[in-house]
Amino acid sequence: MPRLIIDEREIEVPEGTKVIDAAQRLGIVIPRFCYHEALGSVGACRMCAVKFLQGPFKGVQMSCMVDARDGMVVSTTDEEAVQFRQRVIELLMMNHPLDCPVCDEGGQCLLQDETVSGGHARRRFPGPKRTYRDQYLGPYIKHEMNRCIHCYRCSRFYQEFCGYRDLGPLQIGSRMYFGRFSDGPLESPFSGNLVDICPTGVYTDKTARFKLRRWDLQRAPSVCNQCSLGCATVANGHYRGVMRIEARFNRDVNGYFLCDAGRFGFSYANGGQGRRERPLLPRIAGVSASAPSALASAREALENISQKYGPRAIAAAGSNRSSLESQAMLALICKTRDWRGPVFFFDPSERGKTVAAVQELSSDIAVSMREIEKADLVIVAGADPLNEAPMCALAIRQAARKNAPIVTIDSRPLFLPCEFTHFPVAPEKIEHYLAMLVWKAVEKVAENPGKDAEMFCRQLGALSLESAPPEAMAAFSELLLASKRPVIICGTDVTRESTPSFAAGCARLLKCAQKEAGLFFLLPGAGSFGSALLSGTQSQTFGDLVEDIEKGVVRALVVSECDPFHYYPDHARLERAVSKLEQLIAIDYFPSETVERASIFYPASTVFETGSTYINQEGRLRFAQPVHCGGAPISPGEHPPRVYSGLVPGGDHLPAWKALCQIASMPREDGVPAPEKFIPSVLPAFSGLGAGPIYPVDGPRLLSPGPGFTSQWSQRGEEAGEGAPDFELLLVEWMFGTSEFAAWSDSLDAAVCEPHMSINTKDAARAGLSDGDRVSVELDGGAFEIAVSVSERTAEKVLVVPRHQLLDWQKIKGFPVRILAGKIRKI
Amino acid sequence: MLPDELKVKLREVIAAAESPREKAIDVMFEIQELQGWMSDQAMVEAAELLGMTPLELEELATFYDYIYRSPVGKYVIKVCDSTVCWLEGRRRVVDYIASRLAIPMGGTSADGLFTLLPVCCIGYCDRAPAMVINKRVFGNLTPEKIDRILSQLAKNADFSGSE
Amino acid sequence: MPDYPRVLFKNRKPDRVATLDEYRESGGYQALEKFIGGAISPKEVIRLVSEAGLLGRGGAGFPSGMKWGAVADSSPFPRYLVANADEMEPGTFKDRVLLHADPHCVIEGMILAAYSFSATKAFFFVRPSYESSARILERELENARKAGFLGDRILGTDFSFDIVVHRSGGRYICGEASALLNAIMGKRPNPVKPPPYPTEKGLWGKPTVVNNVETLANVPHILRNGPEWFKSLSAVSHGTGTKIYGISGKVRRPGAVELPMGTKLSEIIDVHCEGMAPGSTFKACLPGGASTRFMTAERYDIPMDFESLKKIGNRLGTAAIMVFDHKTCLVGATLNLMEFFARESCGWCTPCREGLIYMRDLLWRIENGEGKEEYIPNLRMLCKEVWNSYCALAPGAAEPVISLLDFFEDEVRQHISEKGCPFHATADH
Repeated sequence: MPRLIIDEREIEVPEGTKVIDAAQRLGIVIPRFCYHEALGSVGACRMCAVKFLQGPFKGVQMSCMVDARDGMVVSTTDEEAVQFRQRVIELLMMNHPLDCPVCDEGGQCLLQDETVSGGHARRRFPGPKRTYRDQYLGPYIKHEMNRCIHCYRCSRFYQEFCGYRDLGPLQIGSRMYFGRFSDGPLESPFSGNLVDICPTGVYTDKTARFKLRRWDLQRAPSVCNQCSLGCATVANGHYRGVMRIEARFNRDVNGYFLCDAGRFGFSYANGGQGRRERPLLPRIAGVSASAPSALASAREALENISQKYGPRAIAAAGSNRSSLESQAMLALICKTRDWRGPVFFFDPSERGKTVAAVQELSSDIAVSMREIEKADLVIVAGADPLNEAPMCALAIRQAARKNAPIVTIDSRPLFLPCEFTHFPVAPEKIEHYLAMLVWKAVEKVAENPGKDAEMFCRQLGALSLESAPPEAMAAFSELLLASKRPVIICGTDVTRESTPSFAAGCARLLKCAQKEAGLFFLLPGAGSFGSALLSGTQSQTFGDLVEDIEKGVVRALVVSECDPFHYYPDHARLERAVSKLEQLIAIDYFPSETVERASIFYPASTVFETGSTYINQEGRLRFAQPVHCGGAPISPGEHPPRVYSGLVPGGDHLPAWKALCQIASMPREDGVPAPEKFIPSVLPAFSGLGAGPIYPVDGPRLLSPGPGFTSQWSQRGEEAGEGAPDFELLLVEWMFGTSEFAAWSDSLDAAVCEPHMSINTKDAARAGLSDGDRVSVELDGGAFEIAVSVSERTAEKVLVVPRHQLLDWQKIKGFPVRILAGKIRKI
Repeated sequence: MLPDELKVKLREVIAAAESPREKAIDVMFEIQELQGWMSDQAMVEAAELLGMTPLELEELATFYDYIYRSPVGKYVIKVCDSTVCWLEGRRRVVDYIASRLAIPMGGTSADGLFTLLPVCCIGYCDRAPAMVINKRVFGNLTPEKIDRILSQLAKNADFSGSE
Repeated sequence: MPDYPRVLFKNRKPDRVATLDEYRESGGYQALEKFIGGAISPKEVIRLVSEAGLLGRGGAGFPSGMKWGAVADSSPFPRYLVANADEMEPGTFKDRVLLHADPHCVIEGMILAAYSFSATKAFFFVRPSYESSARILERELENARKAGFLGDRILGTDFSFDIVVHRSGGRYICGEASALLNAIMGKRPNPVKPPPYPTEKGLWGKPTVVNNVETLANVPHILRNGPEWFKSLSAVSHGTGTKIYGISGKVRRPGAVELPMGTKLSEIIDVHCEGMAPGSTFKACLPGGASTRFMTAERYDIPMDFESLKKIGNRLGTAAIMVFDHKTCLVGATLNLMEFFARESCGWCTPCREGLIYMRDLLWRIENGEGKEEYIPNLRMLCKEVWNSYCALAPGAAEPVISLLDFFEDEVRQHISEKGCPFHATADH
């Protein structure tokens, strides 16, 4: 551990720490442009010059390029170093346009800050400024090359960190240009980070362009709720609208970055045009009403039903996108008021898998994304990281960059932005392949691993022998045997119900084999972990409620932040069931079909208007602070607003849980119950966290030390054998176009592609289909039309179809879906 | 579209390399030999042969001095503008060629035969002033010598060779 | 004219390239046959070359034996050798003359160098304007292959090695060793700062040695005749071997001459170049290429070797001597050099990418009558500041400017006070 002195203060830092980072530990932020912790040092901008007074180096050196060493004495304030840094600013400002007044970066521009703090105010250079032609980079990123200071952050992030290959450094010398081969949208779904990473305004957020000044914004730490990772964000509110999302650093979760779905998928909160207009006013029987009257009539209606039919005639449903507060309140209401539910899941298998994953994940094997980056081998089993949890794909890439082999076992034609080997297998074979891969590494597990481990190991051994491994597998078995920090990433979307437990068993066995093995689950949504915890003991899903409605035992349905019409697999049946209800009470911020049909509707506030908690897929608490009060956004024509009023239309929304609390007449001690009190009452794991207004700080993990090997896996069901229908239809997530957020956010429209159905090459040949054909797929509830994408990388005997907003897949009638070849017709 | 024979040849060139990218310059030189410059279409096709994206090839093409991303004449006359040639009168050489071909520096003659460009030191300082035409070097330039070279090139459209 | 032993230019013909047979007749490939046949171990090759005190001829003057020795015994295979024939610094052309004189001398040197650290493949990195050299090399490499000096199991031994010609797209920065390696791998030729050194992680992450052409050409002679002989070739006791000096500019007979290391500048110009060009008086020269400092008539008798030039704060560099006469405007010459460096900057770091443009602009204004007094201290500061660049290109570019201001400040001031170039009427340029 080298000890050095920086600006007369001593510090000891780990071996390999750069002087620039050592200084930062002392609170001395040395100016920099090219250096970025995630990208490393390249010494291009020369801005971080400091003077080395003693030690192995002397004189002015770049602090990002020098490892801290014993005996170094460094001055950041030495005149020579300061003068040189001022010159660097002068050199960069030779060409930088003074368009700060109209630059979206203004006020949050590193170059601006350094120019001001460096004291550069007068341009000495008598020559002209160079200019460039900008490129069209797609709907999200505005290119403004004249502002470029050539720090190479963009190309290094884009190519090295993310692995995409369509943006880079062009030309030479002072003509250096950063751009694409030709105009066109950036291919990387992580392109939005260019906005954050560029130290000046070359890349700005088009969705926020010319709408705001940084110093006018209401900013708060928030959390992305679009997938189960719960990435840290900063949400920016202005004029009652959400204007922009930025990535917020979180070491364990997303690091410095964010995916484009998370960054640009916020506009639902502002509402859109026509059918996407956010419902801001409460409604009773379709007629606008005041908030107190809507809540009061809901309360009365429910009380009436409870008196007439008993409390069990009221059922409650939440979803995987609800906050933990809402979920817990629903659970508490059902407990105290004896309502039916709450249900959070639509597909029983998804419920089973999510619950199993949550039960299996224990602190001894759970890893964070940061630990995935450090893995020396990554196995992706039944997961599609790029589509289900995009930032996870970036974490995998970081492992691959350090030469970790990446193996994927999945039915989908996966893509990852790094080198990886894909084994396309049907869902029922995923465990078998995983067993073949893992067996060699675990067959001689450490002595005395315990009875359960031995039993699991025996079963695994038997499963690995079910068929001969493919040729390419052997090499990976060897690599896994030699690995020290392997990580298994398992999903819940296309896997069998037993697979999460099986993957956990594999991770535990690898642990028994003296490896620092890790396990990482991908879950269906931001609220999935909470849903699983709260519905752990009851196996009901929404389908059971539909039956209860049909039978007439359920007369009222309360849905909170949930749109059954989006998820329930039989649209027509749901329509009939809903029409039988006496009351459908909906609390939501989306203008969903359920909201349309509700007898009483209460407009809930969004995560940006409410403090919300989520538990991400690794059991980590993620807390989003409220950003602004919300309400009808001021449209551009009214900018700047001329009338300020205390009464903001739609600005008095309650979060769903508070509305629920009122309509269920929940007892309150003083005013509104506090989440830190009522959440522990349904989730005992929370009791240890202590009280406080914002009880979960950013990060603790709520996991038990480890249940050991569970017997869940051996209870797996029988697979359909001979004579099974030809195809299994797998409904899957896409990064853009399948989520409810995408459906209601016009800001994401530009990223949504036409849906297509993936099919294996051999299957396609048998069915007489070729790439690009359009087919009609006949389902039990009707047919949909879709383009076909043929690939050897898709497993045989499956049809992979996205739950796409342009596809009315809600005709499948039930889960799972098996289809005969004859039901697919070329059109 | 690149001719098929050329593609066959380029694939051979690439196959001989330690890694395909190593041959990026050779591939672009071969294409320029045939087409004079690297059109967008040629860039896309060359990149595909090299297992690169067009952007990755563009990163190289725009870096180097001898790769042309705009159309050039059949003969690219690059007159050395570095120190020794400057000392030995490269200005007069440029002026002479420019007036003889009636083109400015950077221009291409009306018949599409000649493009006039500056180039940094070509390593023939002992024979300054010097110029390089399609990789062939001519030194100790005088108006008479330039006349001879240019008229021979104009006559002999099928030009190739080495010093 | 004094009669010095000719080593590298022994087979130089006035009108053509020496053939393989001619090279063999002059003793060529003897070292190879003798040593690779098992008479000498690779370590011994390194020892002999180190003992001979062979310094790199590419400009930096790094001991060659030490560079080869830096490839650790335990380091992985394959290992690569690169012959750097990029030679793109203004004034430098010696390697071309050498390749056109006696290519096999370089080829044999490469085989021996490769043998010393067990390289199996070499790249001959050639700039586009040396296409003729590339073709000569390709022809002669094939001849060497046919004679069994290259390819699998050279001369029946266990040693296999081959050389390919790699054509550059043409940029000065490619001559910088780490940028050159990027160029060969088909990456953008930006320099990369060590560690790791190329000898540890070079081409495709494998050990790689980059040597200058002239350096390599010396190797067979050292091994054939011994270190003592090599040392005795030098005119000065602190130097070794001969040196190819490339003289250009205002001398009567410019060209490349091989002379003992440390031959005096006066002798080089007066004797070997037959004096200054008619009507020209010596004003100054750049002694070692564009990135060295102007040397005035005061130093006319200086021995031209690494040590002697270092002592006066200058560098031998590539020993490319550019001679300027009394009619030459040195502001104009410096501006021309700066045009070159600014255009050839790879654009990686700020001081080089922007700083050289800045200097070029100030020099242009001084030369063209727009100069101001305040430009002089600003230029001095910039010269100092570009030393904090990423690689040596910009510090090299600053060298002529520093010396212009040190030795010819009056001339610079005259430009400013007269609002124009006082040489315009008389100069050629």
